[in-house]
Amino acid sequence: MLKHLFTLIWNRKQANALLIVEIFLAFVVLFVVGSLLVYRWQNYRAPLGFAYEQVWAVDLDPGIQPKAERYATQQQIIQRIKSLPGVRAVTRSGSNTPFSNSHNLNNTERPNQRVLRPSGNVYNLDDAAGDVLQLPLEEGRWFDRRDDGAPVVVISRDMKELLFPNETAVGKLVVSNGKKRIVGVTAPFRADGDFADPKQAIFLRNGLQDTTFEHLETLLVRVQPGAGGALEKQISSDIRAIGPGWSSNITPLAEMRDKQLKAVLTPLVALVITCVFLIVNVALGLFGVLWQTINQRRSEIGLRRAIGASAGGISGQILGEILVVATFGLALGLLVAAQFPLLGVLGVRAGVYATAMLLAAGLVYLLTVVCALYPSRLAAGIQPAVALREE
Amino acid sequence: MLLSYLKIAWKVLQRRKFFTFISLFGISFTLMILLVVYALYDHTVGPHTPEKRVDRLLFVTHVGLWAPNSQSNSNPSYSFLNRYVRPLRTPEKVSIATGGGYAVAYVGNTKLKLSQKGTDGAFWQVLDFDFLAGRPYSVQEVGTDARVAVINESTARRYFGAVAGAVGRTIEADATGYRVVGVVRDVPAARTLSTADMWIPLGLAVDVNEPNYFGNCMAILLAPSAEALPAMQAEFKQVMRHVPVQDPKEFTELRVYANTLLGFTVRELMTDNDGPDDGVAWFGRVALGVALLFMLLPALNLVNLNVSRMLERSSEIGVRKAFGATAGRLVGQFLVENIFLTLLGGVLGLALAAGVLALLNGSSIIEHAQFALNGRVFAVALGAVLFFGLLSGVYPAYKMSKLPAIQALKGGTN
Repeated sequence: MLKHLFTLIWNRKQANALLIVEIFLAFVVLFVVGSLLVYRWQNYRAPLGFAYEQVWAVDLDPGIQPKAERYATQQQIIQRIKSLPGVRAVTRSGSNTPFSNSHNLNNTERPNQRVLRPSGNVYNLDDAAGDVLQLPLEEGRWFDRRDDGAPVVVISRDMKELLFPNETAVGKLVVSNGKKRIVGVTAPFRADGDFADPKQAIFLRNGLQDTTFEHLETLLVRVQPGAGGALEKQISSDIRAIGPGWSSNITPLAEMRDKQLKAVLTPLVALVITCVFLIVNVALGLFGVLWQTINQRRSEIGLRRAIGASAGGISGQILGEILVVATFGLALGLLVAAQFPLLGVLGVRAGVYATAMLLAAGLVYLLTVVCALYPSRLAAGIQPAVALREE
Repeated sequence: MLLSYLKIAWKVLQRRKFFTFISLFGISFTLMILLVVYALYDHTVGPHTPEKRVDRLLFVTHVGLWAPNSQSNSNPSYSFLNRYVRPLRTPEKVSIATGGGYAVAYVGNTKLKLSQKGTDGAFWQVLDFDFLAGRPYSVQEVGTDARVAVINESTARRYFGAVAGAVGRTIEADATGYRVVGVVRDVPAARTLSTADMWIPLGLAVDVNEPNYFGNCMAILLAPSAEALPAMQAEFKQVMRHVPVQDPKEFTELRVYANTLLGFTVRELMTDNDGPDDGVAWFGRVALGVALLFMLLPALNLVNLNVSRMLERSSEIGVRKAFGATAGRLVGQFLVENIFLTLLGGVLGLALAAGVLALLNGSSIIEHAQFALNGRVFAVALGAVLFFGLLSGVYPAYKMSKLPAIQALKGGTN
């Protein structure tokens, strides 16, 4: 029966070619959009690797104060903010704060080993950052007073897997702007936001000996739950009072996260709307063509009914035929889709492609069945006597 | 002849309402999406206030110091631009402004976060802002670091309550008072290089004596005419080749480019954005490819529908053939019918796009956005409609003309 259907469609491949191409394209569209959605969704469900609620980013702008004085003023400001009621901890950071879309990339290597690796994110933080961002540690510890004088770093799990795949990393040396000893390994750290892949990260310690201001213009402040506008106003006026000509820009990380989510979601939503429209288009077309075909095949169907085919048999045949057409289209589509992981087109994990293929194939079959249901029932309802008289 | 074709087309449209609906739905929604995307594009890089003369403008926004294994990239400083870009000979005018920053103002107890841009006097001559009241600050006022400001409409509303009385009064931002000299219409946020809530003289916003190449500034170059733009580009490249690299121990090459507004926007999109190629050609190819691919599915769908609808009309075709209509005639008729249908869908699509854009404008998803369907967008729509009509009409028309008269008369398929 199935073989018979395949022969039937194969013999009419020219008449069905357009339908096959359409289903093929619909599958490719579903597959590509599906891959992106599955990829984003899997990332969204993974933990961020830090806590952002109740953390504010305070960008400092020293105005026209001479460079030599900036560090001292910043230290005064940090002391002042720390002493405010409602503030729990303050850390100095580069401008690459979480959700800011700002990056500081550099190569990190093992000593005496020159291998070209993807560059990782470099974060400059100090002892208080462990409290501010509440970074979960998988091994070792966050840096603290004990490390004064000895250059140390903390790396993320992704960095550990890249550099020390099958060994412990704590206690080993890495080269990142000079040799440094690893004291801890954090969970995957995704400062680029909820939808981004984790990227290898290395955290450098800003000790007290680092008296620069230039690349550490931002403060991250953990505040008590419920702190709001009043504290914000207090901080900004204190900054202005300590450093004449200084100004600040205070943004809660939660606000930056919302902004980033919106920036990522808007194009995704637009893509999904476009995709839905294309698929509805295909569905309507499929439906129309099937309906038209049934009308043209009335005499054939009438004849079959007259020689004893049941109504169920007729609608089964119509459904079977369109499913075979869909299978031809899908086979072509799978050939194309298989190229994506092989050539690494979208640059996502192979498992994502497999899921997307399954989803897209399932959707295409569902779509064809839904579109064929009404025309096949129409076909089953053809009265043999009426159909044959027309002929 | 044409009139009778159109009459037939109209009758055919009414005969099977469902099919007409499918066709119109496909055409109008495809066009709507294309139009909305184009309107977004035009809104971002098309000639609109304040970059009305966009075909004469170049922007210098980034300086890169490059060595094979380390790169450093930032906005240029005032002194870099003042020293190497301002003296160029081909530009009619050169303006230097800051990249942007924020200032905080308070109205009673509510905080206003104002985006602030420091500019020189030439800024107002290079770009064309719509002044609702007052005037721009002058070159002299910038030279003396006068505490004056131009603000936008919504800041005037939020701070002073109305546009009318704002000029001459004082706005206090970051605890500094500025006398408002002018109020301009809001600049959409998509115009990242010129938008701000408040513009102040450059010297108040940035240290003009900072010798470092890296800073927080940008330059805008205005060519005397659109034809002179390539010459301006060439001179810029020529001069930049001789600028010494800062920190020659660490870096070997200085990378700085003058981009068109489109070039600047495309560079932001690209991951590798500090090469000499601004990526506009690549962007054009990709955009065209995506648009064609996007239109392919609805077009195929229409071809499919048209083919099966044509078979329905095979007896009509048979009669016309029997009375001597040539294949060319029939193809012509079918194309006219199809283009008529496409145009109808085009009108619907235009209306839908206008609706969507009005919704987008009203929703304030994008700050100060004013999307509109202008002449350029309309021309693109018309082009797309005709292309679409031909794309989906040619194959069925060809197939119809090939139908043998006898078989067609009998009502056969093929």
